[in-house]
Amino acid sequence: MFLYSLLAGFLFGLYFSLIGLGLNLVFSVMRVVNLAHGDFLMLGAFLAYWLFTLFAVNPVPAVAIAFAGFVIVGLPLYYLLVPRLLRAENPEMLSFILFFGLSQVIEAVTTIAFGTSERSIPGDQLGRAVAVVAGLFAGHTVENGPVELLGNTFPASWVASGIVSGCAVLLVYLYLYRTRLGYLTRAVMDNRAEAIATGIDVHRVCAVAFGIGIGLAAVAGVFAPFMLGSITPAMGTEVTVTAFAVIVIGSLGNPLGTAFGGVIYGISYMLMQSYYSSWANVLPYVLLIVILLLRPSGLLGRQVRRA
Amino acid sequence: MQHEPPRPLLELAGIAVGYRRMQVLWGVDLVVNEHESVVLLGANGSGKTTLLKAVMNLVEVFAGRIRFATEDITRLRIDQRVRRGIVFMSETSGFPGLTIEENLLIGAQFLAGQRARRRIDELYAAFPVLAERRRAAAGSLSGGQRKMLGIAKALIGNPRLLIMDEPSAGLSPLYVKEVISVLSRFRAEDLALLIAEQNAKFLVLADRVYTLDNGRIGFSGTVAAMQENDALRRAYFGLQ
Repeated sequence: MFLYSLLAGFLFGLYFSLIGLGLNLVFSVMRVVNLAHGDFLMLGAFLAYWLFTLFAVNPVPAVAIAFAGFVIVGLPLYYLLVPRLLRAENPEMLSFILFFGLSQVIEAVTTIAFGTSERSIPGDQLGRAVAVVAGLFAGHTVENGPVELLGNTFPASWVASGIVSGCAVLLVYLYLYRTRLGYLTRAVMDNRAEAIATGIDVHRVCAVAFGIGIGLAAVAGVFAPFMLGSITPAMGTEVTVTAFAVIVIGSLGNPLGTAFGGVIYGISYMLMQSYYSSWANVLPYVLLIVILLLRPSGLLGRQVRRA
Repeated sequence: MQHEPPRPLLELAGIAVGYRRMQVLWGVDLVVNEHESVVLLGANGSGKTTLLKAVMNLVEVFAGRIRFATEDITRLRIDQRVRRGIVFMSETSGFPGLTIEENLLIGAQFLAGQRARRRIDELYAAFPVLAERRRAAAGSLSGGQRKMLGIAKALIGNPRLLIMDEPSAGLSPLYVKEVISVLSRFRAEDLALLIAEQNAKFLVLADRVYTLDNGRIGFSGTVAAMQENDALRRAYFGLQ
């Protein structure tokens, strides 16, 4: 039971990392709190749902479509909203209000468009993709079914979500630490004023980070029907709170600390589910309060960027 | 034999600058000629940093004109100014959370990959202390080493004009001497300098001096002319 909870927690933790990653990237680069993050995730979930329902597109290729589509949406959205925010006296506080409003608009429009009924994608769809990929590696046909890890069996959809989430964290790491635009992004995160004075095109860097942040939310959304149960237009707020808990645990202002925060959160959540299930849903709020009181810069303790 | 007249590189004409409704500079005229070193002296709050920021378009210019190599750059974006060869070294001198190598790569952002690599290697040769610690975070360097990194980062793109804000800030006299010696070395490579300072030691680098008092140019001329002025001698050299 304990080992099962740890492993399941680890898989869910990777997924929670993906949920928080985009939010933390946006916050780290531009000190803007995107309260609509969970709503972009919800839109990604609906995109995956409709792609599957209308065109029978498997969730795995839907990941690429969701990411590309939302990055493209994110770029103009950045130029529409954020530069104006950053010119304000207190952009962080203003960002709370603005993105809260955006969150409400997205939720209301989605409710009008699709109604409030719960939707989901059959769990075996992700399993099918896992079986195909596993078959390619094994060199023979692999059956679609639960995956065994250290003597415990888990739904293939959990494993697929965990693997894609881990890959997303790795790709963000490679982007930040191995590409020229990544160096510039980290320079903006480190000292925005110095970055501007050095001639870095800060708005270009921020627009790309904003697009990636929203794209990552949409990718997390593709897996939401499998990891969070059904999807509804109202799910965004709860997801945003979870994302907050994850990035506060890891380290606010350090996107890669999110992976650490996600795994800690996932394991804690699964242990609570296993031993004190009625308390599990209180966990994000309790962790948020405890971490903010005891270690406001997160468990990894990296400093928040000096603007 | 006829001497060619100096060619202006940076020209500020009647510059008025401020922050929102607070004006800081009034009608400032200043010229830095090609390959020339100009030191801008002034007390705290006299407007030195604001003037340098105006050259980089980091503050709003209310009135006046800024030219660089005869081109009007008053409304030009910062990255375009850097591409034209103006670089600014602030007091913070780089990004403490990034490694030394990454700081240099950022300084070389407008150079193509191969050229950037070559230039980084050249600067490592000029600053061995940075080469030894290339993978270390810039924040782990001492104050003096941070200045060296700031200078290397600024020079990596082969600028025509290096603008420095108080390079002596927070440095021991030994490091001030080292910074001056490094700058003297690069001046020989046709680099023009505009240095805002309170520390009169930097006058050894100066071809000409400007003093800034409460947002207005007080004196402009050579160091020798400045030393002949009793009031300036008392104010900046502490001499009777």
